[in-house]
Amino acid sequence: MRPTFLAFHTASRALAASQANMDVTGNNIANVNTKGYTRQRVDLSSISSGGYTQKYAVPTADVGLGVDVSRISQIRDPFLDARYRDQASENGKFETILAGLTDLENIFDEISTEGLLHEISKFVNSLQSLAQTPSAGDIAQVVRTAAQKVTQIMNVYAKQINQVRSQQVFDLSQVVINNDFNTKIKNIADLNAQIRQEQTYGNVPNELLDKRNLLIDELAELANIKVTSHPEKISEDLTVERLTISLYDPATGASIGLVDGELYNTLHVKDDGERISIQIATSFGPHGGADITNHFTSGSIKGYIDLINGHGINEFRGVPYYRNSMDILASNFARVLNELNTIDPDNPKPLFSSADGGPITAENIRISQQWLDDPAFITTTIYDANAGDNILRMISAIDSEIVFYRDATDDTSEVMFRGSLDEFLAGLMGEVALDVELYRNYADTSVNVLSNLFNAREAISGVNLDEEGINLMAFQKSYNAAARYFTALDEAVDTIINRMGIVGR
Amino acid sequence: MRITNKMITTQYTRSLNRLAAELNRLNNQVSSGRKFAKASENTSAAVKAFQLRKDMSRIEGYRENIAHAKSTLTNAESALMHIEELMRTATEKIITGLNDTQSREERAIIATELRSLQAQLLQTLNSTASDSYYFGGTNTETKPFEVIDGKLYYNGYDLDLPLPASTPEENEAKLKELASDTLYIDIGLSVKFDPATGEIDEGTVFGYSIAGINVVGSGTTTVEGEEVSNNIYNLLGALAAEFESENYSHAKADALFGHLKDASQGIMRTITEIGAKTSYLDFMAERLEDQDFNLQERQVDVEGIDPAEAIINFEAQKFAYNAALQMGARIIQPSIFDFMR
Repeated sequence: MRPTFLAFHTASRALAASQANMDVTGNNIANVNTKGYTRQRVDLSSISSGGYTQKYAVPTADVGLGVDVSRISQIRDPFLDARYRDQASENGKFETILAGLTDLENIFDEISTEGLLHEISKFVNSLQSLAQTPSAGDIAQVVRTAAQKVTQIMNVYAKQINQVRSQQVFDLSQVVINNDFNTKIKNIADLNAQIRQEQTYGNVPNELLDKRNLLIDELAELANIKVTSHPEKISEDLTVERLTISLYDPATGASIGLVDGELYNTLHVKDDGERISIQIATSFGPHGGADITNHFTSGSIKGYIDLINGHGINEFRGVPYYRNSMDILASNFARVLNELNTIDPDNPKPLFSSADGGPITAENIRISQQWLDDPAFITTTIYDANAGDNILRMISAIDSEIVFYRDATDDTSEVMFRGSLDEFLAGLMGEVALDVELYRNYADTSVNVLSNLFNAREAISGVNLDEEGINLMAFQKSYNAAARYFTALDEAVDTIINRMGIVGR
Repeated sequence: MRITNKMITTQYTRSLNRLAAELNRLNNQVSSGRKFAKASENTSAAVKAFQLRKDMSRIEGYRENIAHAKSTLTNAESALMHIEELMRTATEKIITGLNDTQSREERAIIATELRSLQAQLLQTLNSTASDSYYFGGTNTETKPFEVIDGKLYYNGYDLDLPLPASTPEENEAKLKELASDTLYIDIGLSVKFDPATGEIDEGTVFGYSIAGINVVGSGTTTVEGEEVSNNIYNLLGALAAEFESENYSHAKADALFGHLKDASQGIMRTITEIGAKTSYLDFMAERLEDQDFNLQERQVDVEGIDPAEAIINFEAQKFAYNAALQMGARIIQPSIFDFMR
């Protein structure tokens, strides 16, 4: 026998289901532009009649008992999340490097300005004038001024390279400590705790999950992270997910835990002036205080590390590479001209010296005190005459092949380059420009891939207003239908109670 | 594939941004007339451009050197013309003096005239252009010619006599050195030096100063059993002395005059030499000008844009940008909500 009011519950559940669907649709529409929002869906299931007729062993046709709103779930693809984050990591690295290299390029680039190449050319031309009239004091002074400009531009380049470095170090500290990385790690761990609590109560904390996913996406831009989740058993019939994040290097398989549930590690940036390293500051694992610089393989943190530490030998050409190259240029330039200016090796007559008496670098190169005191300190001839042959030697030396030693004072040290000054400098500019070009291509490509992945993810998780509009209309209709069904049932009961059995009355 | 609103807007923003960036790049091209504003936009062209700029700057230096050398040579040439004229006047006077009908007083007057010509000669040999002496070889600072006790000294050396405390061989070597002493400039022949001695390779440079010793002559010759100077100044002095002499000998004066004519060949030789040098410089200057022009053309090729092409590209890009804007306004707006009753 069918209970009289059985279908009333079916009708009320149908109303509730439509209501829930309309609520979720509304929520989706409201969040159409919310960053990180994942489209939600009401999971419905039909209710079977539960076998109550079997009690009496009278087989009857089973009618289902309507619909059940089992939960509100998110539509998300974890595989795409992982791919998106890997790509975001790559992208973060390329964009950071590109920005840093562009700063470096701006120092060297003299396509639209006048830089070191221009000053060297002017120096050569002033030497040409001196060769015309070697005894002219005023021209000797012009030569000295031109040389001074060359040294000053070298100083400026060195200073600007150092500025780029400090800027990158500052940015890296900002990214790691002051806001991004450590804060995000901590927030994720906090969210882990909250989500665990909600899940323990049996709730589905969709909004918290969105928040966490968004934070993980942002974290992926900073470093090469790997996200895994393990089931954690709360009780016999309740298991929740425990999320861990680690710094993972796919090449070596090494991994360093960053977040484990509500536990987290924070990082610390250490700069010794030459090299920068990243260490674990506070820790839950065995890595406290460990230097994990080499564990970064992508993400913008890796970009900063490359820019700040890359000395260019078998690795990225970063600030140290360009600083060393400028030092090598300055010291060898000084070496060649100082040697030419000296006739008697026992009585050196240096044209250039360092400001602090130490080895000559791009930062400290300057005109020697003797030359400052007397413009005619420059040796015009090696003979006992008034000729300008030595000036021609200097011009020829600047334009012909110079051996650039790693240490200009030691001609047994490694040879860095053979060629003229101009070739060295143009080569340096070419290198930084090529690197910029390369990383711009990398960044363009990775942005494209990233945007494809974004679209793929959006295609699954994003809110489509047309869809929601159709759903809204559909659920409105089904709500109306359920309400009409209710009325129909009500009329049926009314018929039985009030009108049945009054034949002929 | 589901297409969501966010996808459309993100994609649209991105392509608009790309179009705008390209538009900006083309706009910069048109307004600056340059193909690229940074080396990284076209690295190979940028490296080429640096090379071209360097070459052009060097050529500028060479051309300045040539201009300087040419002006020095022209000055020297006109001074030499003047000397030549002095010598012609001297010749006339001497011929007059050699005439046996001349009285002793008249010869004395000619001697005085010759001495005045001598003074003019000395002054011309010491002429300067912008404070540098151009007959001093590498010595441009002090007067190259001096007269001490009526004898001509060149850069401190007596042109007739052996240098003190030196053998005749050494003396000769010194005179030779003085004769070849010259200032070199770089005119773009890629200067080379002997790696062993450090000596300049003269074929790779241009020597433009004139050693006055070659103009006036040096050393002595035996004429009529007497040691006489080879230089024109001293010879003029000797002739003047002979004309003034109480025991004037026509034969001796005539011999001196003959020797003077030989000695003054140096002037013409130097003038010819200067002419050859000047025409070489003219040739080099022309070549450098050609090179400079070629380099400028190549620079325009490498760095410059074709304005017509750039403007057409710019307009095409503007059209694409406008089209994208128009499309966007239509795509983004509608959804089913716009049509729900």
